[in-house]
Amino acid sequence: MLRDDNFHKELIFRSKVVSIIILLLCLILIANLYLLQIRYSKKYQLMSDKNRIKVLPLLPKRGRIFSADGIILANNEYTHRLIMDYCSKKTFQKNIDELKKYLYLSETDIENLENQRRKRIANITVKDKLSRDEYVKVAMNLFKCNGVYISNIYSRNYTMPYEFSHLLGYVSKQSKEIQFLTGRTGIELLFNEELKGKIGNIQHEINSIGNKVRIIEKEEPVNGKDIVLSTHAELQKYIYDLLAPYKVGACCVLDITGKVLALVSVPGYNINNMSNGPSPSEWKEWTTSIYKPLLDRYSSSTYPPGSVFKIIVAYAALKEKLISKEEKLLCLGGIKHDNHVFHCWNRNGHGWINITEALSKSCDCFFFELAKKLGIERLNKYAKEFGFGKKTGIELPNEKSGLIPSREWKFLKYGTNWYAYETMLAGIGQGSVLSTLIQTATMLGKIYSDNINYRPTILNNNINNNEVVHLNKYCLDIVKASLKQVCWTGTASGSCRTNYGIAGKTGSSQVRSLKSGEAGMNQKLLEWKHRDHAFFVGAAPLDSPQYIVAVLIEHGGGGARVAAPIARKIFDKLILKNNEN
Amino acid sequence: MKINIKNIIFINESKILFILIALLLIFSILGQVIAFGGNDISVQKHIAKIFFGIIVAYAVAITNLKFWENVSYIFYLISFFCLLLVEILGVIKLGAQRWIDLYIITLQPSEFMKIALILALSRYYSSLSIFELKQLKFHLFPLFITFLPVLLILKQPDLGTAVLLMGIGVGMSFLAGFPFKPFCYTVIAFFCLCPIGWRFLHDYQKNRILDFLDPERDPLGTGYHVLQSKIAIGSGHIFGKGIFHGTQGGLNFLPEKHTDFIFTTISEEMGFVGSILIIMIFIGIIFYFFHVGSESKSKFARHMCKGLALLLFIHVFVNIGMVIGMLPVVGIPLPFLSYGGSSLLTFMFSIGLILSALLRNYYKY
Repeated sequence: MLRDDNFHKELIFRSKVVSIIILLLCLILIANLYLLQIRYSKKYQLMSDKNRIKVLPLLPKRGRIFSADGIILANNEYTHRLIMDYCSKKTFQKNIDELKKYLYLSETDIENLENQRRKRIANITVKDKLSRDEYVKVAMNLFKCNGVYISNIYSRNYTMPYEFSHLLGYVSKQSKEIQFLTGRTGIELLFNEELKGKIGNIQHEINSIGNKVRIIEKEEPVNGKDIVLSTHAELQKYIYDLLAPYKVGACCVLDITGKVLALVSVPGYNINNMSNGPSPSEWKEWTTSIYKPLLDRYSSSTYPPGSVFKIIVAYAALKEKLISKEEKLLCLGGIKHDNHVFHCWNRNGHGWINITEALSKSCDCFFFELAKKLGIERLNKYAKEFGFGKKTGIELPNEKSGLIPSREWKFLKYGTNWYAYETMLAGIGQGSVLSTLIQTATMLGKIYSDNINYRPTILNNNINNNEVVHLNKYCLDIVKASLKQVCWTGTASGSCRTNYGIAGKTGSSQVRSLKSGEAGMNQKLLEWKHRDHAFFVGAAPLDSPQYIVAVLIEHGGGGARVAAPIARKIFDKLILKNNEN
Repeated sequence: MKINIKNIIFINESKILFILIALLLIFSILGQVIAFGGNDISVQKHIAKIFFGIIVAYAVAITNLKFWENVSYIFYLISFFCLLLVEILGVIKLGAQRWIDLYIITLQPSEFMKIALILALSRYYSSLSIFELKQLKFHLFPLFITFLPVLLILKQPDLGTAVLLMGIGVGMSFLAGFPFKPFCYTVIAFFCLCPIGWRFLHDYQKNRILDFLDPERDPLGTGYHVLQSKIAIGSGHIFGKGIFHGTQGGLNFLPEKHTDFIFTTISEEMGFVGSILIIMIFIGIIFYFFHVGSESKSKFARHMCKGLALLLFIHVFVNIGMVIGMLPVVGIPLPFLSYGGSSLLTFMFSIGLILSALLRNYYKY
């Protein structure tokens, strides 16, 4: 009986042990639930939201760009883009197999997409700019795919892609994932803040297979502001067509208030294609061509200004009273300095000439003498005053400041002293002097607006309210009269003699020192890249100059022969059209 | 002596059980309404099954317990035969051969095997004297009748039910007085044999166990279910997201949200409070079973009640442990709450048996 009791107690004990084990295990369950639901709840709430909420950006319309004559230069085109969400490899393959039936996807395309998928990019662009046909086919069969959708976006469209290529610049996606356009160069870059607007977003609740269930939150995008440029689309196109046969060149047309009426650089490139990502062949052509189409020639490239620079030397010499209006100097076709002869372009010499004749015939000897008298310091000071050697402040990115040499500059750069012959070379705009086309146009603008603070601007409603600082009237009149003579009897008389009257200056700047026997040679016989740059800057009409035109033909040969006729045509277009009205 | 429904309801002791079961059934219907997102035909089916279960429970309760004692071996044999039948001509669903198609309903004999095993073990143990219980050789037969169906069920394959039956067998023989030292040796030997058993597991079973050991192993593949379940439960916080506001369940991120993962569905929308309430109700019912067992005057009823308590507990523990990522995923439903007739019927049946045992204390037949 005693043994039975013991056994009975043992059984009761075992029951208790099992009960306690059960209670303990239940407590472990509760403890785990506590950890999940209270302690680490935040983490799981985040994960839950990440599961169900998908944020899509809402893209604003980028601001449009208008020309002064009211033509839309940059617009937004409504296009359809096919986008796939990040998914597993199996789903990806299934989607691609399905999509292949409706649109053409090459092997390399698919490989690219697969690479993007492997990098876990959230929204992969399967195809941009679906054609109408593709759009209809894909949209009707979209339900067969997982996580694929069509996004309607605005892509940039330029109405004159070649004519305005450098001025407007181009746009591209901000990053691979966000299809937000951002300016990369030109106006698009400089006014990006105004143009781009503000990105919005929409939060969708999605279910486990990625279908949208409802909208949780929506933030509307703010469209970008429109911009009106001072350039005239028609004029720009006219000039582009004029310059195009010369392969490389640029033209800048300013009006007397500083507004840029046209700013052309040839060759252009298609900014529509550039914005949408150029094809490899296009890209190769643009980057390897000797004509460098991606480079603009009016503000980002510098050239020796050549004879155009003589205007400043003349003004400086008159102002410093180193020469009077009637004083004559002798040109014998060359000047001897330190056992070296510096030749005038006219080997026969111009004889005794005064400053007006020297400018109009572009006599080099005359200006060698003046430069020598002036010295590099004074030359430098006047050049800077007329806007050389520093940025003009026009609203363009990548503007170069050019170079006006000085003693300090040479010492810092080469560690050697300044020699007098270098001043002489600088006096005819050669040697180390470098300028941009815009600078030369601005220089003439300062002269004809009689305002040292004259500044070019690209915006239509931008008013230049800098204080007007006049130039010396006596000197200015002589210079203006000389420039008139250039087109009447001087170097540009062949092409620029007109009823309304043009005043201007030709220039031909050498790109290397001449080899013996090449002097006076026909430029056409030289290799293209060794030919002179052709310049012409001019203002018209004469009684009250309204327009400044600067033309540059890179390796064009002589300024009088090549650049001046182009400028004449541009003036004709500008002035005769106005008269007709 | 005749028993009518009034007699059962007005026994003081059974009131607490009725309240607990009623609460659980409310949760059950609520859970299915949540899982199906409102009034669905499936919810109506579930309610119909509950009513059918209540009738079954009532019928079992008013049957003399002696009857169940008498038929227990036959019941066991029939269940075992059904398991064999499944093996031969069963229907393959979800990659496992667990069901018999009876044209009207599909039966899952392993469900009935649970009850049959408990009844058979209880009958066997109640037939032994104390002297015999102390001897090891009389405990071999229970092990034999436990492992026979376990092997068949493992072959289906259904790891969860097999482990469950083993748990019941081992637990009941421990409670019946299996000699202590051999018991320890057997348990140790069993754990030593586990690595060998690994080789016989299917790939998906191995994956589940590996995922359990390292939940981040394959978050989009085999570990997806548990991860989503944990996210759902974890994001419920204290009071839950509110009825019908659960995002994990509502947006179909949860797998099997109305069957094995019903706890997750409820827990997401009712939070920590709801989870604890459900667990408390289950603990209450389990200890009520134990209580009825220890109060019972019949030896058979005593063993049976403890066996049923173990059955309920293992179900609850393994299911909840699995949905919160504490245990590997094995397909074990949550008693009363999961959608599915066989499981519900099994547990209604056991409620009936408990009531029958309770009544036996008050009425001498």
